[in-house]
Amino acid sequence: MTELLPTATWARTRAVLGELVRPRRWLALSAFVFVVAATGIGLLTAPLLGHIVDLVAQRRLAEAVTLPVLLIALVALGQGVATAIGTSLVARLGEGMLAELREKFVERALGLPLEQVEKAGSGDLTTRVTNDVSEIADGVRDALPELGRSVLTIVLTLGGLAVLDWRFLIAALLAAPIQLGTVRWYIRRAVPLYAKQRVAVGEQQQQLLDTVGGAPTVRAFRLAGEHVGRVRARSGAAVDLALRGIRLVTRFFGRLNLAELIGLGAVLATGFWLVRDGSATIGTATAAALYFHSLFNPINAALALVDDAQSANASLSRLIGVSDLPPVREPAHPAVPVDSSVKTAGLGHSYVDGHEVLHGVDLEVAPGERVALVGASGAGKTTLAKLIAGIHHPSAGSITLGGVDVAELGPSGVRETVSLISQEVHVFAGPLAEDLRLAKADATEPELHLALDRVGASDWVRALPDGLSTVVGDGGHRLTVTQSQQLALARLVLTDPPIAILDEATAEAGSAGSKVLEKAADAALSGRTGLVVAHRLTQAAGADRVVVLDAGRVVETGTHAELVAAGGQYATLWAAWSDHR
Amino acid sequence: MRAAAPPTPGSVLRGAITSKRGTVGVAALLVAGHQGGEALVPVVIGRTIDEAVSTGSAMALLRWIAILAVLFAAFSSCYRFGARFAERAAETAAHDLRVRVSERVLDSRGGASKGRLAGELANIATSDAKRVGSVNLILPFGLAGLAGLLVSAISLLRMSVPLGLLVLLGTPPLLVLAHFIGRPLERRSGVEQERAAYASGVAADLVNGLRVLKGIGAEPRAVARYRRTSRDSLKATLRAARAKSWHDGAILALTGMFIALVALVGGRLAASGDISVGDLVAAVGLAQFLLTPFQIFGRVNAGVAQARASAARVADVLAAPPAVPGGDGKLPSEVPGALRISGLCHENLRDLTLEVAPGELLGVVAPDPAAARDLLAVLGREFDPASGAVTLDGTALSTVDPDEVRRAVLVAAHDADLFEGSLIDNVRAGGPAVERAMAAANADEVAATLPDGQDTVLTERGRSLSGGQRQRVALARALAADPPVLLVHDPTTAVDAVTEAKIAAEIAAVRRGRTTIVVTTSPALLAVTDRVVVLDGGTVSAHGRHPDLVRDNAFYRTAVLS
Repeated sequence: MTELLPTATWARTRAVLGELVRPRRWLALSAFVFVVAATGIGLLTAPLLGHIVDLVAQRRLAEAVTLPVLLIALVALGQGVATAIGTSLVARLGEGMLAELREKFVERALGLPLEQVEKAGSGDLTTRVTNDVSEIADGVRDALPELGRSVLTIVLTLGGLAVLDWRFLIAALLAAPIQLGTVRWYIRRAVPLYAKQRVAVGEQQQQLLDTVGGAPTVRAFRLAGEHVGRVRARSGAAVDLALRGIRLVTRFFGRLNLAELIGLGAVLATGFWLVRDGSATIGTATAAALYFHSLFNPINAALALVDDAQSANASLSRLIGVSDLPPVREPAHPAVPVDSSVKTAGLGHSYVDGHEVLHGVDLEVAPGERVALVGASGAGKTTLAKLIAGIHHPSAGSITLGGVDVAELGPSGVRETVSLISQEVHVFAGPLAEDLRLAKADATEPELHLALDRVGASDWVRALPDGLSTVVGDGGHRLTVTQSQQLALARLVLTDPPIAILDEATAEAGSAGSKVLEKAADAALSGRTGLVVAHRLTQAAGADRVVVLDAGRVVETGTHAELVAAGGQYATLWAAWSDHR
Repeated sequence: MRAAAPPTPGSVLRGAITSKRGTVGVAALLVAGHQGGEALVPVVIGRTIDEAVSTGSAMALLRWIAILAVLFAAFSSCYRFGARFAERAAETAAHDLRVRVSERVLDSRGGASKGRLAGELANIATSDAKRVGSVNLILPFGLAGLAGLLVSAISLLRMSVPLGLLVLLGTPPLLVLAHFIGRPLERRSGVEQERAAYASGVAADLVNGLRVLKGIGAEPRAVARYRRTSRDSLKATLRAARAKSWHDGAILALTGMFIALVALVGGRLAASGDISVGDLVAAVGLAQFLLTPFQIFGRVNAGVAQARASAARVADVLAAPPAVPGGDGKLPSEVPGALRISGLCHENLRDLTLEVAPGELLGVVAPDPAAARDLLAVLGREFDPASGAVTLDGTALSTVDPDEVRRAVLVAAHDADLFEGSLIDNVRAGGPAVERAMAAANADEVAATLPDGQDTVLTERGRSLSGGQRQRVALARALAADPPVLLVHDPTTAVDAVTEAKIAAEIAAVRRGRTTIVVTTSPALLAVTDRVVVLDGGTVSAHGRHPDLVRDNAFYRTAVLS
């Protein structure tokens, strides 16, 4: 049933990278030039050392070594400066591209239709925005520059070997087949293993959150033994995979050691042969051996990083898959609503094909009217609310807001016309004022206080340690469910839409809190057309009109008094509710 | 396992090592062999130049290449098995700690979660446990660095004392210098990294609140906010990156200068015939190699500091004082369920006196949620009252082990969690009376609407269900436990009125003859109780039957019927 968000193809990923580089091509070019220069300069050290060896072998005076030594020092200085400039240019390039990419991604992600996000499972988008972004950031910061430098060092060093004598290059390349084979061998095993390992570590974390977060419940039901067992099992599975991982890594490096040995042996033998032949000096042979020995680290680094680069690449295609989605289309000439009425005709909806949850709903709400939606769980109240709010698109029928069909209004027109507050609470991390300004970006502080006052939240906000500047949400000051929902209603007041829908916005707060919230909701709705999904019938009794839904159909509609007198489903509901009062 | 002295940071860290000392010891020996072997490679290259390349002796060449092969085979195998032993020691030590932390958090006497968020505790059990375990990885590699240093030192000093001393005494100041160049950067980059992490945190937070954003059409403003954060973070990151680039460049230049110095001294010694050409080659190679062990020492330092900080956090949890002491009082095997509360004072409760007869269904109306929570906590023995007493069938609860108390008294909290697993498994975790309980709590209807019925897997602690569905499953679990005394708190706040009335009648039927306390302000639930007590200001202000209280008590009417 889940349908993951799209992943870009390899070709598309490359094309997007190209688009990101194009406006920065001069930066990219100068970064490349400096990194090549830094590596090239560094390669002069080995021949200079070889030259010193030659001077010694030719029994020259001790003073003769001074000049090459000075040159080595100069090389070191030049290499240091070029490296500093090169790497900071590389960082500017990579970080700039990363920032642009992640901003585009977040923009598209927040614009995605909720249906698509829900079909993919809530975890998919969250994983992309956290893990994938940080995977790429790690890649841009550490793996890719290191990989680039290493590859460059390897290529230029091999060039250096060829300059010393082409036969040294042949000798060094004897190691290459083993190295390439080893990498292929390793990646084939590492990619699935690391994927499994990530899943296991995620499951272990999830289990701990489950167990630790639910500790009071675990203790109350005396389930500690079972839960410790679950933690033990999940942790054990992660440990087993980590140990399989290290076995693989050590075998990988073992094979690379073999390649080093073969290459080094061949270079030494070539040096021996060329020196005996008279076609190379001892110093040249030394330089070649030093060259090859200094390749050990870059080669191991590059090959080990292939893996990181691959996972950064996979993350990249997941980000691009989303950021490449076409933006939601707006009509060329969006219509403007003429009033604040709501009208649906023949509205039907199914989340899963053939499983209709709403059938032929005709509903008319006059401007400024307040309508309560009532019905048992699963009657389709929330679906109706989401359709009217434009969160889901109906499978059948039409919706008219303010006298204009929603298609002519366009997504941004719908956004400005109608707001939906559901029972889901989320307090945005950061200062409280910032949270509220998501509803109205340029709201002044008095405006914020006014909105809070209207929903009865100003007392506790003033009592917070830093008032409106108090950091709330994840990692900040914890608000109660009631307070969080009051905040949601204050956001509604600030957004100030002509039409507002409340979907059981008072349900989660417990009995004491729901009374506070009903009052707040009442205040927030005044002056608007209101559609209230109510589970407490007091809310329904206070509305202008009540609409009863059953199994996806409207079965009754009328004022509270009319429906009670009619003796239908609502009357039964009301009797069940008011019997006890 | 349970030592007499409370765990300290030191004992946690030491324990992680000593519990795996065999594995750690073998690992240390093997990886030391590896580093020592790596140190000998430049020496062998030097000897090959001296004895084979310079002389032209093919036999010497074969001999030295054979020696090289043996050397590689030896140190490669050392690494292969040493790294595995070290990793095993680290991972299993972390696993042991993870289990211990979970055991402590779940201990029936409580106290370990006090003042800590769930995410924080989960992190202690994962990241911190891992960092403590990693001392078993750090230690062997630290010893290996020492071995590499020793082998290099001996090789150098055997060639030439002045050259050896130059390299050995020159390297530490070089690293100290590098450290000083790097230190302000490290501090700064820590701050910058936090800024970057903050940007990614903002993005995740916005995505998690996507439904709320969409509800009020705030997507464009959220995007603008993220863009600002992202730009700030970019600026900070670039500052850090620039600083780091110059730091790396400086280190590179310093290392190169040091090699030049070694070449100068070595070249002059070789020119005057004090050392051979091969010795010169080896010395230069070793000067390069020596940076590795010293870098290892730097990492060991940082790693041990991290492990110590993590060990402190782990020890803090393990040593947290229990919220209530144990006890050796015994409850009868058949608990009739006569509950007596006398003169109870605890935070929001003042001189509360209350008697519940065996088998009674009592309603408690507590408009102050804090007072309700305190009552529940005291009856579940999560806390012992500051003064006053609670007895069950004549036995004071405070003398009975909390686990034993909960065998008799089940407190089903309003915010009780469901766990990962199927719906039916969650109910079954309560106890054996599953079918009856499912029907009574109307959870069978919840199951019927789910894709896989009662076998549907619940995720994210039941957050995949709606509030009303979750409440019904949680209530079914409590009823399935069929305890002698059951307390339920606001079990139906998110359930529609018709279903609530049905559930209320079912609770009364299922619990007939078993002591049950319902803490609620819902008239549907209160109507089925035998008796209702009203808590006001933390003490009983009125009691009686629900219809009588509705008729006679104004405070009650406001609390229940508004």
